[in-house]
Amino acid sequence: MATATALAPATREGAGAGRQNKKRYGGLRPWLFALPALAVYVTFLVYPAGTSLFFSFTNWDGLSPTYDIVGLANYEAMTKDPVVVQALLNNLVWTVVTIVVPVVIGLTLAILLNGKVRGKTPLRLLFYTPCVLPLVSIASIWGWLYNPDYGVINETLRAVGLGSLAQPWLGQDSTALAAVMVPAIWLRVGFPMLLYLAALQGIPAEQYEAATVDGATRSQQLWFITMPSLRPAHYIVLALSLIDSFKVFDMIYAMTYGGPGTATQVMGTWMYANVFQYYQAGYGTAIAVVITVIAVAVSIPYVLSQTKEHS
Amino acid sequence: MTRSTWTRRGFLGLSAAAAVAGTAACTGTGTAGGTAGGAASGPASNNLRLFTYEDDTTIANLKAAVATFDSRNGTTTRVDSLPGSGAAVYPDKLRAELLGGSGPDIWRIWGGQIGAPFAKAKQAADLAPYYQKYGWDTKINTNAIAGMTFDGMKAGLPIVVAAIGAWYSKESMDKAGVSDTPKSYAELEEMNDKLVAAGITPCTLGGKYGWDVMRLFEYLLEVSAGPDLHDKLLSGEESWDRPEVVTAFTSFKKWQDKKWLPNGVLGLDPSDVETDYVSGKAAYTLTGTWTEAQGIQAAKKSSDDFGTFQLPTDQTPERHSGFVEGYMMSARSGNPDKAAALLDYLVTPDLQATLQITSSTVTGAEPDKSKLPLSYEWTEINKTSPFYTIQDQAFPKKTADQYFAIQSDVLQGKTSPADAAKAMQSAVSAMAKS
Repeated sequence: MATATALAPATREGAGAGRQNKKRYGGLRPWLFALPALAVYVTFLVYPAGTSLFFSFTNWDGLSPTYDIVGLANYEAMTKDPVVVQALLNNLVWTVVTIVVPVVIGLTLAILLNGKVRGKTPLRLLFYTPCVLPLVSIASIWGWLYNPDYGVINETLRAVGLGSLAQPWLGQDSTALAAVMVPAIWLRVGFPMLLYLAALQGIPAEQYEAATVDGATRSQQLWFITMPSLRPAHYIVLALSLIDSFKVFDMIYAMTYGGPGTATQVMGTWMYANVFQYYQAGYGTAIAVVITVIAVAVSIPYVLSQTKEHS
Repeated sequence: MTRSTWTRRGFLGLSAAAAVAGTAACTGTGTAGGTAGGAASGPASNNLRLFTYEDDTTIANLKAAVATFDSRNGTTTRVDSLPGSGAAVYPDKLRAELLGGSGPDIWRIWGGQIGAPFAKAKQAADLAPYYQKYGWDTKINTNAIAGMTFDGMKAGLPIVVAAIGAWYSKESMDKAGVSDTPKSYAELEEMNDKLVAAGITPCTLGGKYGWDVMRLFEYLLEVSAGPDLHDKLLSGEESWDRPEVVTAFTSFKKWQDKKWLPNGVLGLDPSDVETDYVSGKAAYTLTGTWTEAQGIQAAKKSSDDFGTFQLPTDQTPERHSGFVEGYMMSARSGNPDKAAALLDYLVTPDLQATLQITSSTVTGAEPDKSKLPLSYEWTEINKTSPFYTIQDQAFPKKTADQYFAIQSDVLQGKTSPADAAKAMQSAVSAMAKS
């Protein structure tokens, strides 16, 4: 009885806590709401990703109904593949350049276009338009611009007396990667600009008014009011840009096809070449797994540290 | 405070979404399975699908022809085309469709190492019973059939035996004072010099995908190595690390250094530059007979203003490069008999002419001399001149790409011709081992 008496309040407390938890977390109902999205997520992401991981341990050619398990042979082969080394280096260069340059330009444009500028709406539209253009069109347009003989870039250089600087931009190893990065930067400026503009418009005007009254200069206002207020936007822009840059494929595929030779190969194009063209799907999926691991490894610590700092 | 909370959540949400997107993109082969996909049509279906790479000049004719077949046979055939990409992209799309389970019943494909994987993976049906049923062995060029036979299996029905030669603008030649086509390699070099002196780019090619510039290198190799050795090099029976190959790479570099090729040739898209000889930006290109209908006449120009010649090799027999194209039928077609009937219909001589196939494998389907006089010239050349397989069909794609990377390094001066020959031998050895 004593036991029963002793347990009763605990049970009641437990039941109460359960009800509280149920009330707080909603019981099964949230899971039911999440179920459709979860099903889509598992079907179209988790399952294919798991399958890809599995195939990275096989010698599947990507077309035949049969394959053998080869263990870590594909990963071992990657360490001896000179194109993988070159692709990783290209990825690194691409990631740094196509994050830093568009973010800096996008931020600058956002600050300029957030002020009292005549025609800022059409200017915003103008700078954002490249983001919505089809990539293949952009690749074709820039391919023509870069044409060594009758492209606008070389024609202009010759017209202004700088003909010695005219180059076969996409046709030589030394300039091909940089030449593809230029349209990529042009394409990407609009995205950070848009996010920064939205964030800038959320900064209360009173802060600038108070700073002006206190005698703060424009650069002090930029440094001590604008930049700290943009920190959440920085997180989003950098994280998304990082992932987007690391998985680059389309721009390079459309403009240079990874060439000349293998000069502009990145991990994404090399994966594609192996899976779809060389009939080495096992090896190609091993490259895909490595890309994923690197992207996650690079992103997660940054995400965690910034979240912790912000909290 | 409210804003910071929302931002953190938003950030985490966006990060998660981005991670999902990133992971999805990075593991994009996920739909692949241990079993290959089948054709779109179900069992005994009268719905067929034909996948091809016809361009605007011929796709309407093909669709009209297929519609006629449908009306006679109670079928409904969808024709899809992916024009312009050449062998660099089309096989990838085809492969993805086959694996995705929506593959076509019939697809057009090149022979040699481009078509071989589809046969070896048993995606393509063995057409031997239909060869017998329709008598294709007697209707179709025997050499072409061999180009689509893999490990003894007749996996394709060839429709084209393409011959590669030089196609030129008479106006450009006249401007440069070139009165006759070259009869030796030395005369070809002399002609190039005259064209450059006249301010005309001699040979227009584009190296973006590799294959187009290979048309030049394989010719130079035929010149330096001769037919017997060239064939043995392609089959791996002889080492590439030898003087004849070094000579070919040296000549290859010479073509660029003497500006016989367009400036920045390695970065140019073949589809952008192939018809530069038609528009007057260059004197000639190395291509096949399709250029008469799809290049010259599509630009509303007369064949009379252009000419063609077989590249002189100074060898006996004097050969040109060539390749085979044809149709394969899916091993999983929902109605293989109707699909085979459609194939038989497509290789009737009249239809081959309607489809402007200017180098048909079909007996009696030679090009009309009055409409395609230049293509007809190649019909005559083909009677006496054998062909060797183009290098991107002679090698698996990976080896062909390595080959092109070596050629690219030679043109950029990053590799000497002697080192290129060694590197090529290394690539061919690796191919043989694998």
